[in-house]
Amino acid sequence: MTRDWWKHLILILGVIVVIAPFYMMVSYSFKSPGEIDRGEGGFFGRQEMMVDERCVKLRDPDRKDVAAAAPRFPGATEGEIRDALVAEAEADCAMRPVVFNYSKAFTEAPLLRYLLNGVIVTASIFLIQVVVALPAAYALAKLKFWGREAVFGLVLFCLLIPVHAIALPLYIMLAKLGLTNTYAALVVPWTISVFGIFLMRQFFMTVPDDLIDAARMDGMGEFSIVWRVMLPTAIPALLAFAIFSIVAHWNDYFWPRIVVTGNRDLFTPPLGLREFKGDGDGSYFGPMMATATVIVTPLIVAFLMAQKRFIEGITLSGMK
Amino acid sequence: MAVTDSSFARETKPTLSAATQEKRAAWSLTAPALILMFVILLVPVMIATFLSFTNYSLGNSGFDWIGTRNYERLFTRSTYEKMFVATFTYVVTVVPISVGLGLGAALLINSLGRFREIYKTIYFLPVMATLLAMAIAWEFMLHPSIGMINRTLELGCGTPLEWLPFMATGCADGFPVWLGDKRYAIWVICFIGIWQGFGFNMVLYLAGLTGVHRELYHAAEMDGAKSGWERFRLVTWPALGPTTVFVVTISCIRAFQVFDTIEAFWPQGGGPNKSTYVMMFAIFEKGVQQNLIGIGSAITVLFLIFVMFLTLIQRWLVERKVHYG
Repeated sequence: MTRDWWKHLILILGVIVVIAPFYMMVSYSFKSPGEIDRGEGGFFGRQEMMVDERCVKLRDPDRKDVAAAAPRFPGATEGEIRDALVAEAEADCAMRPVVFNYSKAFTEAPLLRYLLNGVIVTASIFLIQVVVALPAAYALAKLKFWGREAVFGLVLFCLLIPVHAIALPLYIMLAKLGLTNTYAALVVPWTISVFGIFLMRQFFMTVPDDLIDAARMDGMGEFSIVWRVMLPTAIPALLAFAIFSIVAHWNDYFWPRIVVTGNRDLFTPPLGLREFKGDGDGSYFGPMMATATVIVTPLIVAFLMAQKRFIEGITLSGMK
Repeated sequence: MAVTDSSFARETKPTLSAATQEKRAAWSLTAPALILMFVILLVPVMIATFLSFTNYSLGNSGFDWIGTRNYERLFTRSTYEKMFVATFTYVVTVVPISVGLGLGAALLINSLGRFREIYKTIYFLPVMATLLAMAIAWEFMLHPSIGMINRTLELGCGTPLEWLPFMATGCADGFPVWLGDKRYAIWVICFIGIWQGFGFNMVLYLAGLTGVHRELYHAAEMDGAKSGWERFRLVTWPALGPTTVFVVTISCIRAFQVFDTIEAFWPQGGGPNKSTYVMMFAIFEKGVQQNLIGIGSAITVLFLIFVMFLTLIQRWLVERKVHYG
């Protein structure tokens, strides 16, 4: 331990740099605008009650409100009633900065909707990828047929094409079909995972033939072999692939940015955050960082709970 | 054999058709994947190649065949020169540094007895986090007046650190406007790329290190490799060869695709004086936003050539190494 102190020193310096933006993101999501501006309040901020100016402005009493409130303040002049109403509004609009930031994050923009979209898109991408890739991988690994080498060669060739790189022609095709600004546009380009086919094929190669022969003896067709025999054996590999796929598509910004324009109902979490940034002024740092925290948290928490699996899944591509 | 006339075979002896059945099953199992591979991967590559020789725009009914004019433009206009400069600066900076840091961190962590898991977890966090969200967090960190970075630098004013020329000018005239200054913009983007990617490389190297046999170190020591550096040079580095090839390739491909940070910082135009106008951003701006499909396709084609070339080099290197390992 004592001999290793310099190693720890270097690694801890690295940790500070790596953690800094996370620290700042979470910390700003707790603080009031004033504290962010002046850079005070430590990590959690002082959490003093603050007044939401916009909320007060919205409730600014006009003549009608004053007249309506008159019976509650007998004998008061109009000015006094007005002041009392403003004070009431301020009291109602006062809240802790952390509550302010997170409630704004969910009310200023339909963040829940964005999160839901993120779940819908990532889940459908993964499911379709499996439905398409698993049978193909099985056929390539375990069935003998004329043309198998050619198909596998094609898979290897397609591994060379990153989908992001061909975004423009894909976008043109979808636009021609009138599919931009739909869920389909978000999902379709990712339905084929050549990497998934490759990975599952390598995995199926290790499954003993006896297992498949036994299933055939029982009278199972090839389709049911794929789903009832191969699928259960492939769970570990599938899990790793799931993590790989879900992390990539939850975090993806480039593709949604291209095919979804303007229609907020289809925004994925990164797009929602981007829009928040676009129309927010300086005082919205807190709510914006709250949004960022909400978007980043699910994957980070999942990662912290199942680190081994995650690291396996993400680095899977390196284990050929 | 029996397969040549399958209908006949099936009528007479059902068992003979097993091969045919297997073939049919195989094709129907691969059909969806094959169709999608064609429609989603191969057809777009062809479309991009085709359109890169035209002046097509979405919404126009027709287009003119303009030969290689799009490519000529790519190699003559100063905008595209800036694009290549920005892309290659980014790749050439981010790849070696993130690979080096990944290797360094892996070696350090691997040599530790305790706290290995903690370091590993923390260094891996940026890989998991949504890059766009982290880009916005970095933007606040880099904010010229209220950002954490310049505030930290200001603490150095009035201390001996002011001897550094950078600190001296910073304290006198204010610290840099990181994202608004063309001298710094691309390096900030590189820094964030490294910050995000090196944990990934580290994990791959850690996996590679578990495959290095202990006996090799003993053997090297017998042969007189006393210092740590000698052992690294003679044993670790060669053993990590395949990992390095893979890590470098994947880092290159990811580096070529940098987009999120640039779009987040500069939604229009690609940074101060186009100093961060990378290829992905150019494809997005020209092809999607400005509807100049021809030129966007030409950039796409060049991009694909770069990426395929890199991957082919990697495969070639791996194949050479396979016999070695």
